[in-house]
Amino acid sequence: MSTRPIEAAPPRTVQTVTFDATMDARIAELRQRYPTSRAALLPVLWLCQERYGWISPGVIRAVAERLGESPAFVEGVVTFYTMYQTAPPARYVLQVCTTLSCAWTGARELVAHLKERLGIGFGETTPDGTFQLVGVQCLGACGRAPVIQINDDYYEDLDVARLDAILDELSGRR
Amino acid sequence: MPKLTIDGHEVEVAAGTNLIEAARAAGVAIPYFCYHPYLAVVGQCRICMVEVAGQPRLALGCATPAADGMVVKVEDSERAREAREAVMEFLLANHPLDCPVCDQAGECLLQDHSMSEQGSKFTTHMAETRRTFPGYERRLIGPHVVQNQNRCIHCSRCIRFTREISETAALTYKSRGNSTFIDTFDGSSFDDPMSGCATDVCPVGALTLRETRFRKRAWKLRSTPSVCPGCSIGCNIFIDHHERVVYRFTPRENPAINATWLCDHGRFLAESLNEQAYLTPQHQGPGHPVPAAWGEALAAVGALLRGAASLRVVASANMSNEELFLARELFGRQLKGEIAVPVAAGEPRRMKNGRGEWLLAKDAHPNAAGARRLGLDTVDGEGLSRFLYGGAGLTLILDPEAHPFLASPEALRLLRVGTTVVWARRSHPVADGATWLLPTPSIASNEGTFTSSTGAVQRFAEAFAAPGTVHRTATGGMSPDCPTIASPWGAPGEARPLWLVLSALARELGTKTLDLASPAEVFTLMARSEKGFAGLVWEALGGLAPQQSFRERQHVG
Repeated sequence: MSTRPIEAAPPRTVQTVTFDATMDARIAELRQRYPTSRAALLPVLWLCQERYGWISPGVIRAVAERLGESPAFVEGVVTFYTMYQTAPPARYVLQVCTTLSCAWTGARELVAHLKERLGIGFGETTPDGTFQLVGVQCLGACGRAPVIQINDDYYEDLDVARLDAILDELSGRR
Repeated sequence: MPKLTIDGHEVEVAAGTNLIEAARAAGVAIPYFCYHPYLAVVGQCRICMVEVAGQPRLALGCATPAADGMVVKVEDSERAREAREAVMEFLLANHPLDCPVCDQAGECLLQDHSMSEQGSKFTTHMAETRRTFPGYERRLIGPHVVQNQNRCIHCSRCIRFTREISETAALTYKSRGNSTFIDTFDGSSFDDPMSGCATDVCPVGALTLRETRFRKRAWKLRSTPSVCPGCSIGCNIFIDHHERVVYRFTPRENPAINATWLCDHGRFLAESLNEQAYLTPQHQGPGHPVPAAWGEALAAVGALLRGAASLRVVASANMSNEELFLARELFGRQLKGEIAVPVAAGEPRRMKNGRGEWLLAKDAHPNAAGARRLGLDTVDGEGLSRFLYGGAGLTLILDPEAHPFLASPEALRLLRVGTTVVWARRSHPVADGATWLLPTPSIASNEGTFTSSTGAVQRFAEAFAAPGTVHRTATGGMSPDCPTIASPWGAPGEARPLWLVLSALARELGTKTLDLASPAEVFTLMARSEKGFAGLVWEALGGLAPQQSFRERQHVG
């Protein structure tokens, strides 16, 4: 298993954003899937998050201009949805499920261990920018609880020992 | 046209009218916070719930069109009343109890509805502390607008205003659920050219105006219907004033011109109405101006007019139709003088009417269209300079603010050659150098009509008498608070509206037909003799019939 780290663009570099030819083509492709340009807003934002790691004000301005919306409107959408990152994320975002099935099968121990080992709480990032800890509700994988989503990958059936091995591997590959 | 019954009152309304407006027509008040007649209906605040006979669920007054035979219960429905109480409980759960220090108090929809529900058994189940937005309690979000997010009830009127009317879409909700707040993009400045309207539409004290907040309690202000002097569009306004001080302009509803909007440029002219640099007629003595009584001034100017070898009159597109007409008749027709009306193009301004169409300002003055309709010569700055060139005779400047050229050194040089009589309110070099200076008051102490660039002849009323003037009511009579003074010239040495001085000069010169007692009489004469005003009746001119301001209209009941 090799989870790809998030390469978040430093704020400096996304103060003003000009889409390159690849982005242009992909936005155009997304745009023609929908009857209105406003309807393409969410997928275009996903595309940007994939490309830059997060949605900076500069990205918002560029998306707004491209889709004919006001930057305020786009920022309203970005801040409404919790899965759009409005600050540069860590290389690995650990989304720990805290809902019933996982809680019963040891999520609380995992959370306690993560907080202790990483020295951070929910919503915080380690000083070296490697790990970010987020408590989330059900990830829909109760059959193999407890579950932690790291970036785009699910890590299932976890216990403290397995979790430590995963963290070792991820931090060693920095 | 659907005919329906609301709380026992039968009412017939136009097809498509919603229940809130139908109830208003029937004299029944359905409360609302998020509904606004010129904004999209969103049904967000849920306070307008009413019972419609035959429908299992309560209906939203804003989003339900009136239908023929509908039986609607507002106050008469226990279910609807309970639903409204529940909504109020939700809204008040987080709304601060700071009405005593809130500038919206007195014109707040939430406060008003709260007060109207006093008899109810309303209570709160809220056990937690109120949600607050630290740092967002008094935040300047633009050049004019102050935000207090704690008071916001999330009606989205301000957001819809910027999206649908001003088209800047500069305001948005950020975050979601209990944390939702109003903001601009990335904290940028809310510099919408109509930003003041966001505070008008805000039903509570979440958005207030930096310029007017805390200057006067809303219930102390008197609203006088008027017309914005800012450009040629002619937006309908109220002059809100107290004890002869103008505090603010607020938009007055007119679907054909400004719906319920007003641009920031016009809105913030309000303060300038309080400037009155000249209070006494004066003439140039040896090296310094000498104050004079009005009687003396009128006699002296009359003598100048009688003895003038040549007469040039600089009128103004800021003057009312009545004043322009009097000036044309007296100085043009009677005394054979030349009259020019300077018109400046000014900044490009626009306003959206009730049909969503943009109206564009053609001129920087409120009555350029009126001057043209009266057949007067309108000139630009260059034309004005030619008009003033080489005249050693008598020049009358009826308004030094008629054109920026009049403040130029070139204009002063041209005017120095002859004799000048200047009517002025605010300090102006042309006025300071005049042979005779006659003080005029602001539009707040005048009455008359302006012709908008769309051709509408619109009346503006006198908010308060000019300093020292006996108050004359719209019909020309004296106000009851000073019945003992018989003549408008009884208190000498004060500003007088131009029409009054022109009719007095007509008397002085023996032109009886123009010696008229009120702008209404001038208008009537003008409507008889002028094709452009034929058929118009002073009393029937739009907007001045007894009516309520939009803010009051929201509080019917």
